[in-house]
Amino acid sequence: MLGKTDSNATWFVVAALGLFFIGGLLTTVAPPLLDKSWNTPFVNHDPAKGVTGELKPYTEQEMRGYKIYIREGCKYCHTQQVRTLASDVARSGWKGVKAPISTPDEFVYDWRQTFGTKRTGPDLARVGGKYNKQWHKAHFNNPRDLVPGSIMPPFPWIANNPQELDDLVAYLQTRGRAKDWRPDGDYEQ
Amino acid sequence: MAASTSNAGASAAVPVVHTDTTAKCFLVGAVSYFVIVGIIALIIAAKFVWPEFLGTVQYFTYGRMRPVHVNGMLFGWLLAADMGLAYYLVPRLCGVKLWSEKLGVASWLIWNVIILGAVVSILAGYQKGLEYADLPTPLSVLVVIAWVMFGINIFATIAQRKYQQMYVSTWYIMGTILWTAFVYLTGNFATLLPDVTGVNQANLTWMYTHNAVGLIFTPIGLAVAYYFIPRTSNTPLYSHKLSMIGFWSLAFVYVWTGAHHMLHGPISQWLQTISIVFSVMLLIPVWAVVYNFIATMKGQWHQLGDNISLKFLMSGTIFYLLTCFQGPMHSLRSVNAIVSKTDWIPGHAHMAVMGAFSFFAMAGVYHVIPKAFNTALHSEAVANWSFWFFLIGGLGMFTSLWLGGFWQGWQWNNPAIPFIDTVVALKPVWMVRFLSGIMIFTGIVLFLYNILSTVVGSKRPATAQA
Repeated sequence: MLGKTDSNATWFVVAALGLFFIGGLLTTVAPPLLDKSWNTPFVNHDPAKGVTGELKPYTEQEMRGYKIYIREGCKYCHTQQVRTLASDVARSGWKGVKAPISTPDEFVYDWRQTFGTKRTGPDLARVGGKYNKQWHKAHFNNPRDLVPGSIMPPFPWIANNPQELDDLVAYLQTRGRAKDWRPDGDYEQ
Repeated sequence: MAASTSNAGASAAVPVVHTDTTAKCFLVGAVSYFVIVGIIALIIAAKFVWPEFLGTVQYFTYGRMRPVHVNGMLFGWLLAADMGLAYYLVPRLCGVKLWSEKLGVASWLIWNVIILGAVVSILAGYQKGLEYADLPTPLSVLVVIAWVMFGINIFATIAQRKYQQMYVSTWYIMGTILWTAFVYLTGNFATLLPDVTGVNQANLTWMYTHNAVGLIFTPIGLAVAYYFIPRTSNTPLYSHKLSMIGFWSLAFVYVWTGAHHMLHGPISQWLQTISIVFSVMLLIPVWAVVYNFIATMKGQWHQLGDNISLKFLMSGTIFYLLTCFQGPMHSLRSVNAIVSKTDWIPGHAHMAVMGAFSFFAMAGVYHVIPKAFNTALHSEAVANWSFWFFLIGGLGMFTSLWLGGFWQGWQWNNPAIPFIDTVVALKPVWMVRFLSGIMIFTGIVLFLYNILSTVVGSKRPATAQA
């Protein structure tokens, strides 16, 4: 069949699309049908089965913050995934407690996926509850005031806009919170 | 086989007069966008060194300028240049005029609306929020319309062709048109369907981003190289059969590999493994293509000395080989654990899109512009300077990012090192990248100057053009 494709355009189109669609359909349409964790929200109330918690839909305020995160392109420097690497688990941890690995069921309500491809700044998959709003405000105003050596840009138009700051911080505080991984509810507001 | 290899050289023998209006518009426009987006590239490279630079103005913050840089280079420069070259070479390979210059120019006008609209809307804060698919949806709709216009024009030209057998460049352009349509729809529209969220959306996004390179820029870039390597060296292509093996293995293998962007991440393990297996199989189409190019040059290497297009084409071939060796290696879990998410990755990506495919496109532009305007290139010397600026600047950027990125990944894997220390450690690397960027940008400016001078000077009598 492929022997005819260099002189017959119809054969060519059929073969080019046919070969493409085998892999195309099997890698895009099939996986979410086979792996239910892609669209079943995380829920576990039994400590014997591992970390407990429940993924909740975003509130209106968190959603506004989410849209600011997208508008400013935050995902171009911050990934949101604790990979199955010992170093990721340790780095996303906090105060000596290791972070749980990210699983697909934690991202079911994510309207725009924010896994990211480049980690210029630290991963944010478990940043929720680590810093309070005052810290975020000062950090957005000038990151180098709190983290000397940082190359994150300043975001004064967010830090000085109470509504946007509240929204964005509300979104950040949700990151990684479906899994209740901090001991004794040790989360900042 | 002989019939097909002579196709590339057949245009001279056929008395078809090509007006090339569409090709001229796309090529001159693309080279101009190359400079404009090059300025944005330099600014974001500078921001790594001086993070306050233009930092307090929201429209010029890094997170908005980076997608403008990526989309501007991919669609404003490279895809526009490749489309311009396709509008030039398909009519010649088919021995007929382009089906409709009017439709072609109309598609170019839409293309300008897309690029300028993208710059304004993303800087204003309206990005769609998906990598490579950052354009707001109305502009994505325009991309689809322009692409359908391009496809109709090219397929209608091919339907009228005088030669029954189609040369390899023609297949690659047809493949690009067909695959891009579905890849683009997947990344820009399927991702927005209700209930497509989280990992499902990410999987569709990586299908698109990976195949934007693999099934858009690779096939149209190879179409350009397959045409211009034999054409500018006056040598027949080494093997028609090998070119078919390369083409059909690309058609089958590439689309399976998207999930390798999330290795070790929250996506099904079996899907990761599939993507690794197919990523390694990519070595087959790549080596088939590169062997064909290198074997075509056998006995012809002396021509590199004074042939500017061949310099770009053969350096591009080497970069293509290297970048497509890196890709499969990155997909191995052990290597991925070190290089993924580091600065190594932009080093790899720039070698593919700038080192390989932009080099092919520049070779084409340097060859086509004098021919289309029926004149001689303004300055061979300036063209040569532009090549060396691109090559040395490019190598400086690739190697500094690889070394820096590998070192960064190595440090990340030791959690005892605070993250901020791994940022501070890379500052010298980002300075080298910025300085390399200045060299590349100088090459781009010389390229634009030479092309515009050729166009402006084209009213002079042509000299020494075969």
